[in-house]
Amino acid sequence: MDFYHSYATINQKLARGVELRYGEKEASVLPRAPRLLRVPRIGVYAGTGTSHSWLWIVELFDRMSFYEVVFMTEGMVRGGALDGLDVFAMSGGDTIRIAEGLGPEGGRAIESFIRGGGLYIGSCAGAYLPLKSSKQHLDRFNFVDIKIANLSKTRPEAKRMGSKASTSYGCDFVYHPVREDVLLRMTGREPFSRFESFRAPLYGGPSMVPSGACDVLAYYDGFTEKTLFLVDESLARQTLIGKVAAARAALGDGRLYLFGPHFEHPLFPTANHLVATAIFWDMRKGRQSGGFSAPQAILEGPEKEKLVRDLKREISNSRIVTVGLEAIPVQWILGCKTYEPEKIRVFLEAIWKRIRVLERSRTICVQQETCEEAVAMASRVTQLLRRMKAGIDDLLDTQDIAWDLFDSLRGLTTLFLQMYFDSLGARFRLDS
Amino acid sequence: MDYLSSNKILIVDLETGATSEEELDDDLVSKRIGGAGITSSLYETYKDSDPVILGAGLLTGTLFPASALSVISAKSPRTGYLTHSPFTLKAGMELKYTGFDYVVIRGKSQKPVFLWLHDGIADVQDASELWGKDVWDTTDHIRKTMGDDLIQTLVIGPAGEEGSDLAQVCVNYWANGDCWQFGKVFGSKNLKAVALRGMGLLEISDAEGFVDQCFEIFQAIKGSALSGKRGVEDILIAMGESDAREWLAPVTHRHSACYNTPYPTNTFLYLSVDPATLTEPPEPEPGFMITDIGALLALKKLGLSAADAGHVLKACARRGVDPAAVAEIAGKAGQKDPKAIEQSLASMQGAATVPEGAKFSSWAPAQPIFGDFGISGEAALKDWWVRRQAVAYLFGIHPIFANMSPELSEEALLEMANKGAGLELSQEALDQAIADVCS
Repeated sequence: MDFYHSYATINQKLARGVELRYGEKEASVLPRAPRLLRVPRIGVYAGTGTSHSWLWIVELFDRMSFYEVVFMTEGMVRGGALDGLDVFAMSGGDTIRIAEGLGPEGGRAIESFIRGGGLYIGSCAGAYLPLKSSKQHLDRFNFVDIKIANLSKTRPEAKRMGSKASTSYGCDFVYHPVREDVLLRMTGREPFSRFESFRAPLYGGPSMVPSGACDVLAYYDGFTEKTLFLVDESLARQTLIGKVAAARAALGDGRLYLFGPHFEHPLFPTANHLVATAIFWDMRKGRQSGGFSAPQAILEGPEKEKLVRDLKREISNSRIVTVGLEAIPVQWILGCKTYEPEKIRVFLEAIWKRIRVLERSRTICVQQETCEEAVAMASRVTQLLRRMKAGIDDLLDTQDIAWDLFDSLRGLTTLFLQMYFDSLGARFRLDS
Repeated sequence: MDYLSSNKILIVDLETGATSEEELDDDLVSKRIGGAGITSSLYETYKDSDPVILGAGLLTGTLFPASALSVISAKSPRTGYLTHSPFTLKAGMELKYTGFDYVVIRGKSQKPVFLWLHDGIADVQDASELWGKDVWDTTDHIRKTMGDDLIQTLVIGPAGEEGSDLAQVCVNYWANGDCWQFGKVFGSKNLKAVALRGMGLLEISDAEGFVDQCFEIFQAIKGSALSGKRGVEDILIAMGESDAREWLAPVTHRHSACYNTPYPTNTFLYLSVDPATLTEPPEPEPGFMITDIGALLALKKLGLSAADAGHVLKACARRGVDPAAVAEIAGKAGQKDPKAIEQSLASMQGAATVPEGAKFSSWAPAQPIFGDFGISGEAALKDWWVRRQAVAYLFGIHPIFANMSPELSEEALLEMANKGAGLELSQEALDQAIADVCS
């Protein structure tokens, strides 16, 4: 079954005002329920502390035509932007930096959003965030009574990839027993009732032990030929197998889905399908259908051409430098995460592959000041990359540039993708 | 053109700095094939604005063996008519991946500029910082400021800026067959360089068949007469210089091939470091890469050692002058002192001899190398050379390798062009395209 096509059909029909019910006709990919479907309004967190994995959510949403999406910074979360949303998605990164960035105000906003009926979807760092913790910054996010199984007072001996095998977690260490594909066994609980087992990639996400009431959706069940052991295999088995990989919990009127592995990773269609199922099944209920985007300026003709060309120019310049950087054995440690040049390209490619869509599109939905900001930021990314390359060639420390670069890349990608999703969303609404 | 092509012709007006694009028409390709065939056609269209035209061959940048060639076409100040100069190394291939198959550069800029072509974007950029720099420093500066060591450049040195009759367009750091004074043309347009880089992809009509057949041709070449031969030294031996290996031995460091070319036509000499040194040399550039076999041979005939010849060629490349012309002029003047030749480069006057009516660079030796093409007689040899070069300049085949490998027959080239581009080119169409480009 082509899940992407199935969900794209649902979303496009809903955007055009077609009435669809759960489990019926074009929506047969979803479990049956006597409710009408509607377009979910989704916030994707792309603020401080995130890595590049939120771009996997972008890929999933793009393939499945979820276009009512807003990309959010910590300031937007604190400023009440969650109020208009049905779903809030948080992918990977540095959990403590994310929590620190959001602060108590952000924590309260997320809690209020969920209690008010909103759906929180967290994978990897996004799954750690709402778990029980007394650590500074994290203690404002104790939304779910689930404990972390891969937590240790001492740092386990790493077999490989020492910098990725464990990380400080207050006075403790969160250790990551394996990376890459793991096998998961479904429990059959709704809405994940159609599969027995599937694969998903684990890149530092939690192994969980529930102590309160929650629905266990999937357990870690085994390893695959692609699993990479970062610690001794017996410790990896002890830490993972039989522990919870995916859980669904209630908070007030809302729900949280917590995924240890990256269910949103673009190479895992079954896991992607489960994310989409969760969104439709447990998104905020009772709201009326209809787009939430504020009226946007429509750019067309030479102005649109100029914007696309200016962005394309800078992204091309940046990609060219980045490909050269990838041949150099260099990495940067930002917070508790290790970044390689390949991660720069993940951001740039997320833009590059979508520029072509905007190039072919007749219009772009964007405010004039956003155009100028996006082009200026793209130009800044190029300049930072060139400075970084020159610095590396001259054997200089480029750590400070890397902080600036990854922040700028995140900002640029967010701006561009907002433009892209607004434009495609508007196109479907206009077609209706 | 959907296949083997970016489907774009770029028009650059240096007068205004404006750029525009046209689509590459299938009919034009069917009639003129590519490379010099299409640059000739574009020249006719734009000749009122004294254009310099860059063009990739139909097979350039593919997996087809030796598909390394692109061409510069312009009216030569030396001949007064349209001529074509090759550029290879990685630059010929890179042109196609910039997203433009053909680039028409019209008019003259008011101030020094360079053209930056990348991923379907053309930027006319200020070159005031580059003006006055030699070829090597210009390429270094472009690569450093743009942040990529793989950028390919067509670049002039002080000779081009000053309008010297010896001025040559160099590729990156090296001579590359411009015997037409195109360096002077670039200089007159205030065009210091064209920088090329792209990460595009080429679509192939019958991708699987094309790739399989490319490997078959590679296999045939591996077992051919050039098997076991390498570098400039074996080419010189094939041209009758039986002592070439011993002559070059004291300075030969390594050999280097152009993009996807099964024979390394370039030889790198170490001039200031023992070539037997296995460690990284202390200085960034201890030598020079021989790319112009004719110039090297002419300096050898003057009685220079290989090291001295290397020093002269290096000085020519940095200044951006045609080394073959320098060797010929020095020879006529009886000048055999390498230091004196180097010192006279700035004031040297004259030009190389060009056969009457020639359209293609004499960079490729005027005879078959290694391979047997079944040619006999001087007139037949001359005709064969012109036709062979024309074919290379249409399809984008390394012009020196074209003279080595009978395996790259016209029949094979047509078959692969049709397979890759989804065209139905016939031998008659090829004959006509050759006649057009040679007329």
